[in-house]
Amino acid sequence: MSNSLSGPSNFADDGSAVIARQIEVHHSRLASNAQDKINACSDIYEIERTVGAIKERGYKRIALQFPDDLLPDSGLVAQLIRDQTGSAVFILADTSYGSCCVDEVAAQHISADAIIHYGRSCQSPTSRLPVIYVFGKQPVDVQDCATVFDGFFAKDKAQKVILMYDVIYAHCVESLLGILEGEKNYTNIVKSRVETESNLGYVLSSQDVSKVAVGCSQKSGSSYCGNKQACSTESSSSCCQSGEKLGDSTCSSSTGGCAKATSTMQQAEAASTGTTTTEETPSSNKRRRFGRTYDLPEGDNIEDYTIFYIGDESPTLSNIMMTHSKCETYSYNPEKKQGRFESAQVNKALMRRYFLVQKAKDADVIGIAVGTLGVASYMTMIQHLKALIESKGKKAYTFVMGKLNVAKMANFMEIDCFVYVACPENSLIDSKEFYRPIVTPYELEIALSKSREWMGDYVTNFQELLPDDDKIGVDKIKISQAQLDAASDREDEDGSDVDSDGDDRPHFSLVTGQFKQSKKYTSNKEDSKELSALIEGSKDLTLRDKNTSVATLMSSASGEYLQSRQFKGLEVKLGETPVELATEGRAGIARGYKTEDGYGDREKEKY
Amino acid sequence: MVNFTIDQIRALMDKVTNVRNMSVIAHVDHGKSTLTDSLVSKAGIISQARAGDARFMDTRQDEQDRGITIKSTAISLYFEMTEEDLPDIKQKSDGTGFVINLIDSPGHVDFSSEVTAALRVTDGALVVVDCVDGVCVQTETVLRQALGERIKPVVVINKVDRALLELQVTKEDLYTSFQRTIESVNVIIATYNDKTIGDVMVYPEQGTVAFASGLHGWAFTIRQFAVRYAKKFGVDRSKMMEKLWGENYFNPATKKWTTKSSDAAGKPLERAFNMFVLDPIFKLFDSIMNFKKDAAFKMLEKLDITLKNDEKEMEGKLLLKTVMKKFLPAGEALLEMIVIHLPSPVTAQKYRVENLYEGPQDDECAKGIAACDPNGPLMLYVSKMVPTSDKGRFYAFGRVFSGTVRAGLKVRIQGPNFIPGTKTDLFVKSVQRIVLMMGRSVEPIEDCPAGNIVGLVGIDQFLLKSGTITTCETAHNLKVMKFSVSPVVQVAVECKNAADLPKLVEGLKRLSKSDPCVLCFTSESGEHIVAGSGELHLEICLKDLEEDHAQVPIRKSDPVVQYKETIQAESSVTALAKSPNKHNRIFMKATPLGEELSLAIEGGKVGPRDEFKARARVLSDEFEWDNQEARKIWAFGPDANGANLMVDLTKGVAYLNEIKDSCVAAFQWATREGVFAEENMRGCRFNILDVVLHADAIHRGGGQIIPACRSAIYAAAYVAQPGLMEPVYLVEITCPETAMGGIYSVLNKRRGHTIGEEQRPGTPMYVVKAHLPIAESFGFTADLRQATGGQAFPQSVFDHWQLMNGVSNEDPKLIEKILSIRKRKGLKEEIPPLDRFLDRL
Repeated sequence: MSNSLSGPSNFADDGSAVIARQIEVHHSRLASNAQDKINACSDIYEIERTVGAIKERGYKRIALQFPDDLLPDSGLVAQLIRDQTGSAVFILADTSYGSCCVDEVAAQHISADAIIHYGRSCQSPTSRLPVIYVFGKQPVDVQDCATVFDGFFAKDKAQKVILMYDVIYAHCVESLLGILEGEKNYTNIVKSRVETESNLGYVLSSQDVSKVAVGCSQKSGSSYCGNKQACSTESSSSCCQSGEKLGDSTCSSSTGGCAKATSTMQQAEAASTGTTTTEETPSSNKRRRFGRTYDLPEGDNIEDYTIFYIGDESPTLSNIMMTHSKCETYSYNPEKKQGRFESAQVNKALMRRYFLVQKAKDADVIGIAVGTLGVASYMTMIQHLKALIESKGKKAYTFVMGKLNVAKMANFMEIDCFVYVACPENSLIDSKEFYRPIVTPYELEIALSKSREWMGDYVTNFQELLPDDDKIGVDKIKISQAQLDAASDREDEDGSDVDSDGDDRPHFSLVTGQFKQSKKYTSNKEDSKELSALIEGSKDLTLRDKNTSVATLMSSASGEYLQSRQFKGLEVKLGETPVELATEGRAGIARGYKTEDGYGDREKEKY
Repeated sequence: MVNFTIDQIRALMDKVTNVRNMSVIAHVDHGKSTLTDSLVSKAGIISQARAGDARFMDTRQDEQDRGITIKSTAISLYFEMTEEDLPDIKQKSDGTGFVINLIDSPGHVDFSSEVTAALRVTDGALVVVDCVDGVCVQTETVLRQALGERIKPVVVINKVDRALLELQVTKEDLYTSFQRTIESVNVIIATYNDKTIGDVMVYPEQGTVAFASGLHGWAFTIRQFAVRYAKKFGVDRSKMMEKLWGENYFNPATKKWTTKSSDAAGKPLERAFNMFVLDPIFKLFDSIMNFKKDAAFKMLEKLDITLKNDEKEMEGKLLLKTVMKKFLPAGEALLEMIVIHLPSPVTAQKYRVENLYEGPQDDECAKGIAACDPNGPLMLYVSKMVPTSDKGRFYAFGRVFSGTVRAGLKVRIQGPNFIPGTKTDLFVKSVQRIVLMMGRSVEPIEDCPAGNIVGLVGIDQFLLKSGTITTCETAHNLKVMKFSVSPVVQVAVECKNAADLPKLVEGLKRLSKSDPCVLCFTSESGEHIVAGSGELHLEICLKDLEEDHAQVPIRKSDPVVQYKETIQAESSVTALAKSPNKHNRIFMKATPLGEELSLAIEGGKVGPRDEFKARARVLSDEFEWDNQEARKIWAFGPDANGANLMVDLTKGVAYLNEIKDSCVAAFQWATREGVFAEENMRGCRFNILDVVLHADAIHRGGGQIIPACRSAIYAAAYVAQPGLMEPVYLVEITCPETAMGGIYSVLNKRRGHTIGEEQRPGTPMYVVKAHLPIAESFGFTADLRQATGGQAFPQSVFDHWQLMNGVSNEDPKLIEKILSIRKRKGLKEEIPPLDRFLDRL
């Protein structure tokens, strides 16, 4: 689950790292002969499918997003697409976050209609633009893979196995499944699917919705529908009010929504059995994680399954293992043609996350680091987190800092804990080397909200975290969250006669084993006014600071931190320093000022 | 048994001069609880009918089952002095009725923290010593603690019946044995005595030593015999007392007192103590145990003891017990001694205040404490939490040092981390109710004036274990208690059923509250750790956790110990680390701090809060530091108070002040997670030799300096012969000579090594002292029992950190150890290479 964090930093970097970075380029895969090259390119980059999709929907301006290591082929691909569709094609530079995420913001700069994302994808749902994913096919020795599979599962052919894979191997899954079920007689293999397109409904007319509307569940939880027809037979309000909302509602057809719908499922199912000609068979066990969807047969639990993963060690694999921590996982590495058992470290990793949750619980000042501008509803997520943090009287700061690195994060020593809002594949960061822990939104939720408990499972999908009525607006979230906590607070009291002071009670910190008193930072102006009036009025609390010129203690976290620092910046040493004539200041650049004798030279020598 | 209404007790509490707060302390199995029972049966104010040999103070089932005390328990006693005895009380008193608040404490070393908590709220201590075993390791520990808290001791030499019945010693032997015991107690007192309380050595002739048999329920001091004989001889009581101890002889022929052991003719004379004190006792024992009832009854008549008819029918030990109880009732002798010789709160707080109060000695709180003023500002110290019948709630048990606490009073609750003038660890809440804690029962009262011990209801949610309660806004804290044991043994616990996790967490919180010493936390690898002072302590804690606090089935790992990372030499090269942007460089060297200074820091003699000039003086005078360097200590670490130092040895570096905070942060981090095993560091001094900084502030921010400084510290430690320290127990084993062989073989198997072995004078028992690595001590007691047929009893107490042989990154054994620690912590199983930290120019 460690992430490489060697991205360029915004501060203190001359940019040489980017230029010097070694990138593996897959030249070998394209033949030298021009025509062969085009053929190979068309095949690997699925030009035909892409062009088909573009033509069908009539996109005029198209953004191509390549990760750095595929850039050499970008020219050819762009040319092919332009020639075949006649649309305007743009090649985007890599994002500052992770190349697995779709960079909608960059695409909007050129007001593109659609994005074609190449290479490995985290399959995070996007919010604004239609996306076509092209994973780039990587060769797999299907026979060998089947043999390895056999090695793991030959003992029990009826064993329940979910087949998962890295997106670049998606093309071969059908043939593998064919071999396994056909020749090897495995009976209980469930295949997961990845999506190759998303958000296409965005620009489509509402008539076409039924084609793309994939298993959207109704928010009210009263019914579940697999498609438009089922919906209309149910007669209640339509599940997809408009094309615009489609992106979000599709996403929320995840486990949470499904589970809720389960009780009323049977009915819906009965209604939809007649219409099985649709793309998706409605099923209560449909799950979606990281853009991977799989259907479990009725009545099966995910815990009963074993996961077989095709692909190299990657964040994707760690994520799958974290979110399916109760399943055993085997992997097959197509490049090395090796299979192995993976589960061993998952529990350790989960336990480590548990510790981070405890740390987050103790934090008074929390930094929200924004690590994505593409994942759907990230803004809602940020608002939600802010509301959550503030409802606990803690202080939230928001940071947009591109890829994380140790040096950048350590510049903010007053932050006790960071929460990283990013796509699932990038959000699990092993923050051991960081000065402050970095947690995921889910972990922060567990830490702060009493309605959630650590149960050893794991959620990285925003939609599962956000309250159901996330579209109603942030204020509502705030209120519902506050109510929720108030309710659970009351439960906690269980009749003891504490006079509504439950909130400022210290909590037992599992990091230190001591009581931790949380500091209260109220950003609300009325509140702080009240508070300051309180301080003046009551003699219980005394502000005894001599130099409170910068900060009054109550509301400013950074001001308070400054107070605790020994070095506070400009120190007025009135009368302590002799009066001197002005002297010439320094000139030059930060790298080495001219006045500093030989600093610049010395630097040069050493490099 | 005295029956009082609560109002009467409350009235007594106002007469503070007639209150005695005292704890009973001793080595395990020296008979504290049994002795306390005889006091309770005599004078317990409110108590149920059961008393005597029921170990009334052991309130828990497992205490009764195991026969040891685990938690300290308080009880109030009432004692009426006679008018004529009052002048013997050398301090102010008011009337003849006295209230004695007695706290019975556990004797096993693992529960020493309970003793500390008991001592804090009391002013006097009854030190119980077994007359056969003599002064043992725990006797010394508790006595030292008592003296450190400025608590006045009196001594009871217990189990005298054993000496008479089992060992059949002669009178003179018994006397010398008594004398030896008293001498060894006095040696300890002399060693740790605090001048301000004056002379607190114990002298039988002054009545500060009692001789007792808790089991039989009798006890005496010289004073009681002196009172008897004073009338007979017509001399003054105090003169008589002096005559009855030491080198004083009585010549029956001439009826003259002498200090020579033989008369004019050279005939040996009998010691006065033997003749007047021991002789009647010996005769009674002899006649009753040898069934010479006639002689016995004749003696009883002489002694004015009347037996009831059914009692006359008794035989042997039972008769002896009855007779002795009537002859020398334990309650009277001991309570008298306590009332006369132990200080009242008024007396004690005068000299205790400077030890108790952290703030200035002339503020109103200090004055209130010194005067024990019920009208002063409230100052109350909560020393421990006692579980209530209401699950999860606790009484805050403590002592009012000043002012009066009453129900409904709005108070400031100041936790151990409270800093005056800030809101850190401060809560303003009201006390809901106040209770008197009497053994097993609690009685609600309205208010409680200074000098008394109470339980508070409704503030348990704001204090974890201990804290200060006050009404004064400017009050500083009462000093945090310093325990003689530390939680060095850890186990990881997890619930068997994952869904029980919230209950487990709540249980851990309750467990931390209920025990003064236990520590519950989560390790970096996400395991729940319970840390205790020893195996027994942990066993009890885990049992409580499972059965009472969490009430869910738990699984526990094997116990493990913490290690410390240290260095054994000065860094062989200057360590250089560059910041991530390469524009800042830190040059650092590490040197060993030395064991003495490490201990001084851990003992609080040298600390981060000291005034830096005074500290520099101590360092240069006692630890041979350069005075200039000593003034430039930047930080103590880890946790800002550990035994590692960072010292600034740079000369004329611009902007150095600016990076100090970042360096300190890095230092705290690095010393908390050492380079090899991520254990705490200990005994390292890191000298910053030079720093090259970028001229622009943004390029030398925390982001650049923290990683650089951390690397520099790691690199400096890496090249300074890094080593690992393990905690070591001092084990004291009492056993007969025949069992010695078994002891040695068990010790050898466990890397223990003997440091001393001596015979207890006057007994066939030997005492073996040994150092035993705690890591090897698990199951030691059981092993020892097996190897010696149950004849050897060990007492283990953490003694010191011992350097393990070898260098961390070279010695294969050590590397193996480090890798196993890393594995347990879920870290990469490799020794990190030096070039990860050390940069080159």
